[in-house]
Formats: sequence, structure tokens, C-alpha cells
Amino acid sequence: MARRVLFNLFAWSIVLAVAFPLFWMIVTSVKPQFELFRRPPTFLPDTVTFEHYRTLLARTNFMIYFRNSVILSTVTTFVVVFLATLGAYSLVRFRYRGRESLAFLVLFTYLLPSVVLIIPLYLMLVSLGLSNTILSLVIAYTTFALPYALWLLRSFMAGVPEDLESAALVDGASRLGAFRDVILPQLLPGIISTALFTFILSWNEYLYALVLVNSDGARPLTTGVMSMLISAFNIEWSLLMAASVMMSVPLIVAFAFLQSYLTRGFGAGGVKG
Amino acid sequence: MPAPRPTALERQYARLGVLLIAPTVLVFCAVIVYPLVSAIYLSLFQIFTPTLQGSWVGLDNYRALLARGEFWTSLQNNLIWTVGTLTLQILFGVAMALVLHQNLWFRSLARSLILFPYFVSTVVAVLVWKWVFNDLYGILNHFMLTLGIIDWPIDYLGTMPNAMISIILVGAWKYFPFVVIAVLARLQTIPEALYEAARIDGAGPVARFFDITLPQLREVLVVIILLRAIWDFKEFDLIYLMTGGGPVIATQTLPLLVYKEAFAVNQMGMASAYAVVMMAIMLAFMIVYIRRTRERG
Repeated sequence: MARRVLFNLFAWSIVLAVAFPLFWMIVTSVKPQFELFRRPPTFLPDTVTFEHYRTLLARTNFMIYFRNSVILSTVTTFVVVFLATLGAYSLVRFRYRGRESLAFLVLFTYLLPSVVLIIPLYLMLVSLGLSNTILSLVIAYTTFALPYALWLLRSFMAGVPEDLESAALVDGASRLGAFRDVILPQLLPGIISTALFTFILSWNEYLYALVLVNSDGARPLTTGVMSMLISAFNIEWSLLMAASVMMSVPLIVAFAFLQSYLTRGFGAGGVKG
Repeated sequence: MPAPRPTALERQYARLGVLLIAPTVLVFCAVIVYPLVSAIYLSLFQIFTPTLQGSWVGLDNYRALLARGEFWTSLQNNLIWTVGTLTLQILFGVAMALVLHQNLWFRSLARSLILFPYFVSTVVAVLVWKWVFNDLYGILNHFMLTLGIIDWPIDYLGTMPNAMISIILVGAWKYFPFVVIAVLARLQTIPEALYEAARIDGAGPVARFFDITLPQLREVLVVIILLRAIWDFKEFDLIYLMTGGGPVIATQTLPLLVYKEAFAVNQMGMASAYAVVMMAIMLAFMIVYIRRTRERG
């Protein structure tokens, strides 16, 4: 018993140490400005204030960035998951020439570094007159989100038993009918998982946003919040920490309600391949 | 043996299959294949970014690049960063997975807390760590001073080797959860009977780890190491946001060099050449990974 308690104490102190920066982010965001610079620092705030959140929402461009990020990530997720679901169905359940090579092209692009694509993409989007638009980011995000979603959905699709589809076909359903009525319901958890990962990936993307957008009207949260750091004369850490907390809200929601989908996605795409 | 002629239904199915993948293939060609090919093409030009005026220089960019000290420094930094952070991710990740595999109080809460750094945006992670690292008011310097490890506040990001160590540690913190989850999933499939047998043979916990757990994990660890090596090698956000490659270029890796050359030095052709060389280096890892996946699939 004593060993068990000791082990738990040991394990939990590591877990808490790992989580400490996140705890510190939340604490800092609710401390009044003067308390930030107190020596020694207070671990729990003496006075809790939400003034930084109010400032953030009322007096900065944060809400514009937030809106841009929501639109951007949602559109990217819908487009990518739609394409990838059809694509994965085709890659796993159909036989045609070039199918294998295609599957490995997907894997190859899944590993491709963004910096290789960014220069030609930048030139392409500028010549199309799309620079500084949310649409340009949707197009750019497809380059990493689509291979990712395809690869993930491909392994989810492989997990749907083939017999189910055959049975439906024997009963006279068409391929697409069987896909809609039999496969899609089976695949739904995988689709949710993939959508969640795609959304988070787009929500967190930085490099393309940095290169392709430099107007506040189209800037997403990642580059937007960083620009608040650079433009501020003296860095207001509590404001930045409040922005960080707000930026993580979708993530916290996902963790609270959809955690099983998150871990499922890990198993499917990350390592099993 | 000649393949049997496909039936009408099979041909119809094949057509449907092609039809379903067609939109994906089109998008792939437009946003991935075409840019990839033009990256190689662009690397043969000298292009001034603001005007986009270019002139053909053939392989001169590559010749110039190999003669430049900055390229070799960045490559060296890239390797130090990758090896450093990857090693820590693996060691810490496997250890944490072993801990979380045990019966822990509030295990699922512990798992969520461990997973969080991986999913949090790099921007958020960097802002938080910059605040922790802050030389005047940062909590880390306060801890270190209180514990008597240092006598004077440390500049974590502005001097060497501190800057490199700092980004390696933050990288390990951010990405080790990936290793934890992957290893944990594999641990759960190791048959308990193997441990029973070893216990009967008198093997202690350490022997059991080296004789059973590690060989069982070997396969998955190779895949994890390959994947993480590729991803760490191409990491841009974390390093760019933490140090911007500084002090001077002491933590500048190849992705940062590409970005700088294209959008700060304004030489897009040269930047493309850097990107192509970087991809060529990564190709070795990518091919090994793809080979392995193909064999297993």
C-alpha cells in the first residue's frame, strides 16, 4: 500500500510538472498587472480579475482573428473531410490501375515539409489575386490537411468489415447506396476523429498564415496573437496569457467531450500507418 | 498466367472508384504536385521577391549554397535540434507511457494533462514558455534562484548554448505526448501471460522490461522514431517563434533558412534551392518510412 501511494505521488508530481506551464498560463491571465511583477511570485492569484479578458475582447482585434480562425478551420475541415471520405473509400474498396501508387503519393505528401511548397504556393496565390484572403489559407491548408485526413480515414475505412458491404450488395443495393447506408454509419466515429484532428491542425497552423496574410481582416489567431506581442510597446503578459487561454478554448472543449475520438485518431493515423 | 478478363460489373466498379478519387487527385495536382515541381524549377532561377523578376542561372544556386557557411551551420543546427529533441521525446515518452500504464489514481485525467501540450497551438506553447523563461519576472529563474542552482538570473533564449537547450526542451515537452500515446497503445496489447511466465522464472521488474517490454515495443518504436525524426527535422513554428533562429544564427535550422532567404533576403530562387536540398536530405528518412509501411500493409 505504501508503495502504491509513493508511486502515485511520484507519477502525479511528473504529470503536474508537465502541465505546469498550462496552469501558469491560466493563473497569469487572471492576475492583476501589478501582481505579475511581485517578488516572490504568487502561485495562486491574491485577487482574481477578468479585466484582461475584457480588454482583449473589447479593445484588440482578437475577436476578428477568432472569427477568421473559426471560418478558416471550419471550411477547411468540411472540404478536406468530404474529399478524403470519398477518396479513402475509393482507395480501400476499389480496384483500378494506379491505386497503389496513389496511396503512396498520399503518404509521401503527408510527410512533405511545408517550406518546400510555400514559395510556389505563394507565387500561385498572388498571381491568382488571392493573397490576403481567408480563401488563400483554405487552399494552402489543404496541402497538409488533405493527405493527413486521407491517411487517417484510409485506416478507419480498412477497419469497416467488408462483409457488411457485400451483404448490402447482394441485397440489391448499389455501391453508392451501400456506401451511404452501410459504410458511412460504421465510419462515423472515424470521420468525427478525422474532422477533429483536421480542425485542430488548421486552428494551430502558423507558417502559411505568416506568409500569405498580412492584413488584420483575414489574419487568423496564430499570427494575430503573435502580432499583438510584437506591436505592444511593453509586453503585457497577462493579456497575452488571456489570449492564449481563449485560443485554447476549442481544444479544451474537444478534450472535455470528445477525448475518445482524439485517442482513436492517434492509433489510426499516427503509427499504425 | 494472364489475368482473367474483368467482368462488366468489375469495370463499372473500377470506373466508380476512379470517379470517387478524381476530385482528390485534381486537388493534389493543383496544390501539391504542381508546387513541388515548380519549387525544383524555381531553384534554377534568381528571383527578387518584391518584383518577382527572375533570370535563369541553372545550377548556380546549388553551387553557391554548398559554398556558403550559413547552409552548413543551419544543417548542423538542424541535426543537433532533431537528435536532441527526438532523444528526449523518446526517453521521456516511453518512461511516461510505462507510468501511465500502471494503475494510477485518476488515470484518465493524468492522460489528458499529458496529452494537452501536443494539441495546444505552438503559438500558445511559445508564449507561455517565453513568459516562464522571462529573465526578470519568469517563474523558472525564480525557482532556480530559490533552490540555489544559480546565483544570477539566466538569459534562456538570448545566449548560447542556452537557446539551443531551451528549444530542445520545449520541443520535447510539446511532442513527447505523441510517443506516450503510441507506446501506451502498444503496451496494452502485450499479453499478460508473457509477464507471468517471466515472473515465475524469477525475473525482476528491470529484467522484465528489457526482456519482454522492450522487444515487444521495438517495432512500434522504429516507426515512431522515423515519423518524429521527419517531423522534428522540418519543424518551423516552434523554433522561429522561440528564438527566430537567434542569437544571430545559432539556432537557425534549414526551414528557417528557407523562410529567411525567401521573405527577408528576398531571394526566392535561392530559397527554393535550400528547400529542395532540405527535402533531398529528408527523402532518405521518408523512403525508409514508406518502405516499412508498404511491407506491413
